[in-house]
Amino acid sequence: MTGFILNCETGKSGTLPPISLSLNESSTTAIYSDTDMQAELIDAIQQNRNITVFNRKEGLYDRLTVMDNVTFYHKWFGCSVPLPEILVSFELQMCAKKPLKKCSQSEMSRVYYAKYFMMNPHPMVFQEPIHGVDIKTINTFINMLKKVADNQTPALILVSNMEHALLLSDITYKLQEKGLQEMEVDTGEKDEIIPETEPASTLTTAKLFKIPAKIEDKVILFDPMEIDYIESQDGKARIVINHESFSLDSTLAEIEKKLEVYGFYRCHRSYIVNLQKVREIITWSKNTYSLRMDNPAKSTIPLSRTKIQGIQDMFNLK
Amino acid sequence: MNTQRIGAIFEKDLKDFMKNMMLLTMPIIPIILSLIYSRLGGDEGLPVPMLYLIVGVAFSSVTASSMMTMMAEENEKKTLRGLMMSPASFMDIIIGKSLVVGLMTLIALTLSLLFIGIEPFLKIQVIIGLVLLFLFFLFLGIGIGLFTKSVAATSAYLMPVMFLFGFTPMMGFLGLEEDSIVIKIADLFPLMQLINMHETESWMSMGVVAIWTLAAAIFTYICFKKERTDD
Repeated sequence: MTGFILNCETGKSGTLPPISLSLNESSTTAIYSDTDMQAELIDAIQQNRNITVFNRKEGLYDRLTVMDNVTFYHKWFGCSVPLPEILVSFELQMCAKKPLKKCSQSEMSRVYYAKYFMMNPHPMVFQEPIHGVDIKTINTFINMLKKVADNQTPALILVSNMEHALLLSDITYKLQEKGLQEMEVDTGEKDEIIPETEPASTLTTAKLFKIPAKIEDKVILFDPMEIDYIESQDGKARIVINHESFSLDSTLAEIEKKLEVYGFYRCHRSYIVNLQKVREIITWSKNTYSLRMDNPAKSTIPLSRTKIQGIQDMFNLK
Repeated sequence: MNTQRIGAIFEKDLKDFMKNMMLLTMPIIPIILSLIYSRLGGDEGLPVPMLYLIVGVAFSSVTASSMMTMMAEENEKKTLRGLMMSPASFMDIIIGKSLVVGLMTLIALTLSLLFIGIEPFLKIQVIIGLVLLFLFFLFLGIGIGLFTKSVAATSAYLMPVMFLFGFTPMMGFLGLEEDSIVIKIADLFPLMQLINMHETESWMSMGVVAIWTLAAAIFTYICFKKERTDD
């Protein structure tokens, strides 16, 4: 099997730009966009009848057990991987005897993953695959993506959450009205040049330090401790406080310099996280990491491979 | 056609049948009805139209109804999305389901006929007639199942099928005159033709039933074509 070239014409309402994207067979591509744009993109993709989009919207046989469902799909699609291996790799062995209507959303999602994996379409297109599922399920999904890449099947993931895009994919694109744009890949080696700011002035005003953010014509001053994390969007930093976000005028690098003293850490090329508010450091099976925040939204922030060392040093972890 | 897929559908639907109360209660209807009628008959056995009434009930309430319900449920829950990659795989689904329905009908019919006396039915000609009648109801069920979008809607379609084709011998009890147009038309219905064949052993009636079955098959084919072009 080889790569796949995805071509989309302009959408009906005209907001979707024409897209031509070539999917590599051994790496995972993600397109990050807002939900409206995503819906249009899905519509455009489904014009091509041979593509089956994974979206967990179709029904499963909910009177039957997990085992019966998986057995049926295994036979139907004539899957060559043995059935017990499928059950174990999607962590379904513990709930195999449970009727599907009694399963949790995460367990259901794993059955959906197993079904799509056994269907083995070419290419695989996922819409919000890990939305609303638990950590164990995200891990099985990452393992599945690894197997998909080993099978030389191109995979495309459509998400409206940048953290998910960065966690799941090797190449991430951002889709906007002006077109498809590749997002900065986090290789870790080429750290951006941090513009020198006057350290003296920031240190003297440190005690009174507030972060100003603009909303329309108002300027809101945020206490650093309020902030959950800061993400970069189009070169501009955005403060995220639980579900809300506010854009800043400065770049991530400038903010990083100022906030370092308050226990903020640049955990990813496009993220600065408030370490006081980190609850968990999650290690995914693909040797990737995430930070889980202690905010009501329980956000997960990507943590670069190269930045894990810094965190471990900071918390005296080994 | 792919026997592995047919096997998969058969196994899945058989398990599902056992867990679906709505489907599971249907085969009980003809069995209970035959139990009641067997008490009425006395020593000399039931008249032939009564025997065929049980047959009609069994075919309409088991064959047609479970086929419709099973297909409507797949439509309603969109469980077939992604399973049908070609028209051939659709045939596999229908054949797999028909096998389940066939098995259930055989069990229900045999049990009910055992209660009212199975001897009158153990003739080649009668059995061929019953097979044709089974196919007729099966095609009706498939055809209706193809375009019903929800399980609730199937009962609306099931009623006319049951009363027209399942309860045809009951038409005689409506108190209509022997040569009224309704009775004349009802006499052409498959169940009445089979009763006629049972009594006179004429192959002519068999031909009429075969025409009905063929018509049902054409109806199914039209529904199938229409569904294909709709989406």
